[in-house]
Amino acid sequence: MEEDLDNILDDWFIESIKIYKDLHVYQLENPTQVLEWTSGRNVCVAGYTSSSKNEILELHLPLKLLADKNKGLCAERDFKVVHGGFADGPVRRLRHIPGTRCAVTNDGHSSSLQVWDLGGDDSDVIRRTGSVEGGRTGSVRGSRIAARPSSQPQVLHGAQSDDVRLTEITSGRTVYKLEVDSSDALSSLQFVTDSIVVAGCCKGSILVADIRSPAAPQVCCPPASSAESVLWWTDASASSSRLIRLSSCGQAVVSELRMLGGGAVCQAQLDIQMRGSDSEDVVVSWAPALDDCIAVSGFSGAVQIYNTSLWKSDLQETTPLFQHRGHMVSSQQPDGVLTTAHAWHPERPRTLLSAASDGSVHVWDWVNQSAAESGSADPPT
Amino acid sequence: GCFLLLWYNSQLCESNECSFIFNTYLFPLQGAGQDVGRSCILVSIGGKNIMLDCGMHMGYNDDRRFPDFSYITQNGRLTEFLDCVIISHFHLDHCGALPYMSEMVGYDGPIYMTHPTKAICPILLEDFRKITVDKKGETNFFTSQMIKDCMKKVIPLNLHQTVQVDDELEIKAYYAGHVLGAAMVHIKVGSESVVYTGDYNMTPDRHLGAAWIDKCRPDILISESTYATTIRDSKRCRERDFLKKVHESIERGGKVLIPVFALGRAQELCILLETFWERMNLKAPIYFSTGLTEKANHYYKLFITWTNQKIRKTFVQRNMFEFKHIKAFDRSYADNPGPMVVFATPGMLHAGQSLQIFKKWAGNEKNMVIMPGYCVQGTIGHKILNGQRKLEMEGRATVRKLSFTFTLTFFLLCNLDVKLQVEYMSFSAHADAKGIMQLIRMAEPRNMLLVHGEAVKMEFLKGKIEQEFSINCYMPANGETTTVTTNPSVPVDISLNLLKREMALGGPLPDPKKPRTMHGTLIMKENSLKLVSSEQALKELGLNEHQLRFTCRVQLQDPHSDPDTLHRIYTHLKSVLKGYTIQHLPDGTVMVESIVIKVSSSAEDPNTKVLLLSWSYQVTFLRC
Repeated sequence: MEEDLDNILDDWFIESIKIYKDLHVYQLENPTQVLEWTSGRNVCVAGYTSSSKNEILELHLPLKLLADKNKGLCAERDFKVVHGGFADGPVRRLRHIPGTRCAVTNDGHSSSLQVWDLGGDDSDVIRRTGSVEGGRTGSVRGSRIAARPSSQPQVLHGAQSDDVRLTEITSGRTVYKLEVDSSDALSSLQFVTDSIVVAGCCKGSILVADIRSPAAPQVCCPPASSAESVLWWTDASASSSRLIRLSSCGQAVVSELRMLGGGAVCQAQLDIQMRGSDSEDVVVSWAPALDDCIAVSGFSGAVQIYNTSLWKSDLQETTPLFQHRGHMVSSQQPDGVLTTAHAWHPERPRTLLSAASDGSVHVWDWVNQSAAESGSADPPT
Repeated sequence: GCFLLLWYNSQLCESNECSFIFNTYLFPLQGAGQDVGRSCILVSIGGKNIMLDCGMHMGYNDDRRFPDFSYITQNGRLTEFLDCVIISHFHLDHCGALPYMSEMVGYDGPIYMTHPTKAICPILLEDFRKITVDKKGETNFFTSQMIKDCMKKVIPLNLHQTVQVDDELEIKAYYAGHVLGAAMVHIKVGSESVVYTGDYNMTPDRHLGAAWIDKCRPDILISESTYATTIRDSKRCRERDFLKKVHESIERGGKVLIPVFALGRAQELCILLETFWERMNLKAPIYFSTGLTEKANHYYKLFITWTNQKIRKTFVQRNMFEFKHIKAFDRSYADNPGPMVVFATPGMLHAGQSLQIFKKWAGNEKNMVIMPGYCVQGTIGHKILNGQRKLEMEGRATVRKLSFTFTLTFFLLCNLDVKLQVEYMSFSAHADAKGIMQLIRMAEPRNMLLVHGEAVKMEFLKGKIEQEFSINCYMPANGETTTVTTNPSVPVDISLNLLKREMALGGPLPDPKKPRTMHGTLIMKENSLKLVSSEQALKELGLNEHQLRFTCRVQLQDPHSDPDTLHRIYTHLKSVLKGYTIQHLPDGTVMVESIVIKVSSSAEDPNTKVLLLSWSYQVTFLRC
């Protein structure tokens, strides 16, 4: 049995020589749903177990991965734990506030946020410095969190469309509140510009608001769907001004952010099926440095990359551009493992981090096969 | 990196607690920040002094490369101060200063190491001596003879075998993974114990198993912590990169040179390449330096129990190190056209076959050299790993006899342009943060001590260990003293007579949960303690009983005669000390219980009376 697993692993690693430029496989002590960049070199992970104390770690990416020149002379391929701290409860979400050493977390079942000092050069300890009360007490859903650079650290947070607010962290003052009547559960919350906020609802509708104006947000209806009671996840791309919505049935719809009422730009039926009951595991995200590509995780043990530029205006089945199967292959229970998070590297086009329910974290940089075959390489980034 | 010299001391305190005192001496060193050169730890436990590892720092060329043994003694031999030396494994940063210590400073006591370490350590020491003395021309270094003399002092250790160093000191080795023969060691004196890990690895690899120790609950676990703040990339990814590089070079028709040390990593990489060639159906030849194969096979046959389970199992059917695709190398093959892979010694490209092949292949950018380990300063390996692309090579020394009687030696210096691809890969197997936690879970120490080479920040790890295991974690810095309080239980035999007597004295029946005071004599004899009645102790030791009495003189003014004064005292005491036995004896004394009072007059002044009081030591004891 163990030998079989070894052989499967050997096969996959040999196959991986052709399909990945870089591949690093790590094992955390506990699984993470957090993969949050604190800089282009550091990333935060955090445990979400309900029983024991959970850790928040800030990890420095392996030097070998980051090396541009003389990569061959760099043998350093480990994560370095640069800062670490202990959380009393689970950490389901963590958002780093750009330009600061501050992060906020949420436990997934209350609307309050915990505020952390990630530590500087003089200390390797992450310390809790305060908390931010949510708009709703007794909520069972965790808050979604968004942050943007500003002179005063602020976070936008809320679990439902009618309790979204922008809070100044140091004073705890609410500086903006989303004015809506509906109280839909949120699946995502993000800034697309300094002032434009996009809130994705689990039922598929989208709210777009400008925090500079008290006007009611623009509301966009859910995409037409064949199935009832599906869940939707959303991600907006600031650079392309596009929005992707992905349903628990695998329907993916791309819309133009400026013309949300104008219907789908393109769509596709992905080869995925909601398996686990934990919708918190699902992540869909636009690639920050690779045009039209999205990554999808949380439906199985795989992370899939799709190229939306190949999608049509009518719903057709599509296959992924690339699929990272590493978590499934290297897990002791290949059927049981589920990806819990993924994150694109902010600058490198094909470098991703992904995490799974067995505590594994992979860093990978896949080879663009079409370019490799036609002999043209990626333009330098 | 830097040296670490650590002093560990224990003494029995009055409160029946043990105090362990650590003094650590760290000599800060500059350097390339490589994971080398530090370990030399001095432990003093129950009056025994033990040196753990005797490593050297590779970044220095002068005396600073060796630990400062003058810390132990300013003059004289170390033998008087050390009960034994224990070497955890054969890496030079753990054993490189050994011949210097034993032969040049002077130590004749026992040196313990495992069988494989004993076999491999002198080869590495000799290699290193050659580089230092023959290549770099240094003097004041140990000689080949010194290495041999030093190794004569070595006593080999078997795994899990308790070795009695002397009557009181015992040591036991446990498997540490890391490299062939690496061991952790449990040191015990009486009820006090320490575990020293050396370098260890908690995940098995292709040819070694994972470190293991039983729940020995030492007072202190001293662990290496070079990788304590890392999360290690998987071994398979390291191997994948190795195969990827080899494959890339072979695909473009290049030749791949892999300089290796004959044992350990070489076998691991051979197993890997063999598997890869088989699966990919590759045809390019793989060669292994001649002679080495036999030598390596010889060692692996001897030390097969030190490898992992899979290798041990297959070894029964066939020799794991006899390969289908890997053939013996002949020096003429280096000029053959087409791709090939060659494993050649030595590993640091400082001499011999690997250097010859390197010179031949260095000029072609299609070729590749893969350095699978660390290289010491002054070697070609070290230079190319630091990015040097132009090398000044010492050509063949040509010796010609001219027509007369003198000889001329020509040293040809030539420049070598390094065009081939240089790849540095680390396969070293060390415990990371998770591994340290696993080991603590296994051994269940009462205290944790992390030794580290540099001033790294490990507050988070310290907090994590203290929270998870509720034990103290110490990370002594340069010159810092750490005092660790422990609670050793000291078993004492009590004589039955004494117990019976205590029972007869009455009082509440003994309650196992409550401490109770007993009176007796504690005898320490031949490593055991027993509590007996004082009569029995006197008898056993053949001693006479002596009475100890305290006396005191009190002066007072009283015009009465001596007997009258005494009588007045008697009546006074009678009235104030109700319930006590007070007697006026005919011999002119008053006794209150066992206290004796006498009266006499001063010679100069009859009105000044001197009261003489006398009491036994038991009275003092009882009144306290």
